[in-house]
Amino acid sequence: MKIKQIINYLLVALLAIQLVSCDNKETLESPFSGTPTERLNAKEKELNDLLMSSELGWKAVYFTDDTQLGGFTHLFKFKDGKVDMASDFDNDTSIQSSEYDIILGSTVSLVFTTKNRIHLLSDSNSFPVASLRGKGYLGDFQFLYYGQENGEIIFRTSRSFKELRFVKAKATDWTDLAQSRLMIPNVVGAVTRPLFRLLETNDGTKINQFDFAFTSTSRFATSNSIETGSSVTNNIGIAYTPTGIIVSPAVKVGTQELSVFTFDAATGSFNAKGTGAATATIRYSNQPLVITDDYKILLPGNQQNVYGYIAANLGTAFSNSLYCTNLLNAANATLPSTQKINRIQLYFNAGVNGSYIAYTFTGGKATIYHDLKVTDDSINKTLILSDDGWSTGTAPAFLTAIDKELLDPKGLYVKREKFTIGAPNTIYTFTSASSNFRITTYAFQ
Amino acid sequence: MKTLNKYKKLVLLSAVVLLGSCAGDEPLKESQLDLSTPPKTALDNWIDTNYLLPYNINVQYKWNPNVVDNNRFLYPPIQAKVQPVLEIVQKIWLESYKTVAGPNFVKNIAPREFVLVGGVNLNTTGTITLGLAEGGKRITFFETDNVDKKNRANIKRFLRTIQHEYIHILNQTKPFDEKSMATITPTGYSSAWYNTSDAVALEEGFLTAYAKSNINEDFAETAATILVSSKAEYAAILAAIVSPVARASIKSKEAIVVKYYKDAFNIDLYKLRDEAEKNTNDVINN
Repeated sequence: MKIKQIINYLLVALLAIQLVSCDNKETLESPFSGTPTERLNAKEKELNDLLMSSELGWKAVYFTDDTQLGGFTHLFKFKDGKVDMASDFDNDTSIQSSEYDIILGSTVSLVFTTKNRIHLLSDSNSFPVASLRGKGYLGDFQFLYYGQENGEIIFRTSRSFKELRFVKAKATDWTDLAQSRLMIPNVVGAVTRPLFRLLETNDGTKINQFDFAFTSTSRFATSNSIETGSSVTNNIGIAYTPTGIIVSPAVKVGTQELSVFTFDAATGSFNAKGTGAATATIRYSNQPLVITDDYKILLPGNQQNVYGYIAANLGTAFSNSLYCTNLLNAANATLPSTQKINRIQLYFNAGVNGSYIAYTFTGGKATIYHDLKVTDDSINKTLILSDDGWSTGTAPAFLTAIDKELLDPKGLYVKREKFTIGAPNTIYTFTSASSNFRITTYAFQ
Repeated sequence: MKTLNKYKKLVLLSAVVLLGSCAGDEPLKESQLDLSTPPKTALDNWIDTNYLLPYNINVQYKWNPNVVDNNRFLYPPIQAKVQPVLEIVQKIWLESYKTVAGPNFVKNIAPREFVLVGGVNLNTTGTITLGLAEGGKRITFFETDNVDKKNRANIKRFLRTIQHEYIHILNQTKPFDEKSMATITPTGYSSAWYNTSDAVALEEGFLTAYAKSNINEDFAETAATILVSSKAEYAAILAAIVSPVARASIKSKEAIVVKYYKDAFNIDLYKLRDEAEKNTNDVINN
């Protein structure tokens, strides 16, 4: 009996449901303005209208991956399926035409369907560093539409899902691309500038310093804190502008984030200013960022130490400064064609001979010795070498320019480097405290 | 019995209500999706006339994210390059088969779609993929931006893709003599084929290094090399091989390929090669 009752109730319930099932749907309160299809169609039209709405087109500074690459500025002007485009990827900043489409996938997206400048970032065969072989500059050219904000169009890239904003372009933006390219040598750094470069942040109370090494092919700079024990990094991707650079990720100064740096031609520095006293600057320095005590073992009273610049092995060392290379070339140019400077060896505390420089040559030319007195500047931590007589009696004219740098009255910064070049020997560099002279040597002990 | 009848009536009633309940809905309207054909360019019309209508081959040159590997860094072709590239394929591949194998041969056994990619498909190992054939239905051509119709070596390299991939499609229709093929150079095959240079591969009895990857690729590379080379060029390749064993191996493979074309499709491979050579010269000289 009980089962029968249950079935009866169920049947009544079923009938009741059927009777109300076709209640008018229109009266339901929908939080949306239409069906999903209607909304997608509206979104598609919205994006297309938006793209064509800007009279002078759109500008996007595209940082494809700001953990290893910089930004590339692109300009777009959309018109009925055609797009005019220019970029600062290389020196060709001319405007080129191709096609675009707005397609429906997981959401509405913009795709550049035939080749143009933006595709240069997505060429497997054109990559800035070996680790990106087969991956180009990690660029995308399909952008998912995520709406607009303050007149900017917000996209996300389809592969890496990074935000990319299109901002309304100004007339000057189109001519600025070529101007931005002229900023590159300033970011790379001129050889006439001092040898050391750093990124310095100042939040008004505390100054933090980071070393700074820029790679122009990837438009990326590595920047690590120089404070001992600190592992803070400020690695930044860089995009060029006519007046300076834009960096991503932004440099943190206190609670502020600074990303727009202005170039100062007088000093070669790039400066960013936040509110209050917050500043960040990328600037040159005559002094190494980290001054070591590596010179101390060379002072009188220590055991013998010898360091040698060997032209055949170290002539092309990246750690020689251009000024050093120029002086070596100039000295060699005065010698007969069969003779060249072979080695410049610095002997410290070499028994009865004391300390001296030995200049050796190829082509049978006799070695020239320059005896030294060795002192230091313990405050600035430099090693000061001074004249104690030449084996040739007087100083040979062709060596004076190089010798003068090694005997800089303000001394030499001595640094035990972490890298090696062509041999297991430890590398030491000797840098003049008052010029751009830096020479690379092998330690022989 | 009575109870059962009552249920029957109830079920009937509910069925009537169910069927009749939604009868009052409005009639269906047309789709809200945009189904209109996008406007066709002169290039689109040319493709229709020369590929789609005669051969039922679709050509995708505009970027379609769904037909290209999203993990690769590739890009669409320069639009102005598309027609010249397709003309080369039409002249050297389609028309050569048409002349030698009859007008319907490619129509019956053909890839249904070409996808054109402008850039080089460089693998992280350093090798370059020139083309892909997927399920015998779609062939993807890479590097179409780099095709130079005045440069014979360049055209040969590009045409090798279609010749090679089409041989895979033919093989999917009619299998070749895999048993005999496998016995010629059985120890030479390796998945790390890219560690061998083409010159070394020749001395091992393979026309290219890629032929070492497996017998299917070996067959396709053997046939493709014959088809993209002139008779004299092919003879020169064989003559340059030092090892007599290697040369004999390649000749045995060549015999299998020639027999396959004859038995399976009644095509004289050498005639096809000569026709392709004639058409290649036409392309370069015009």
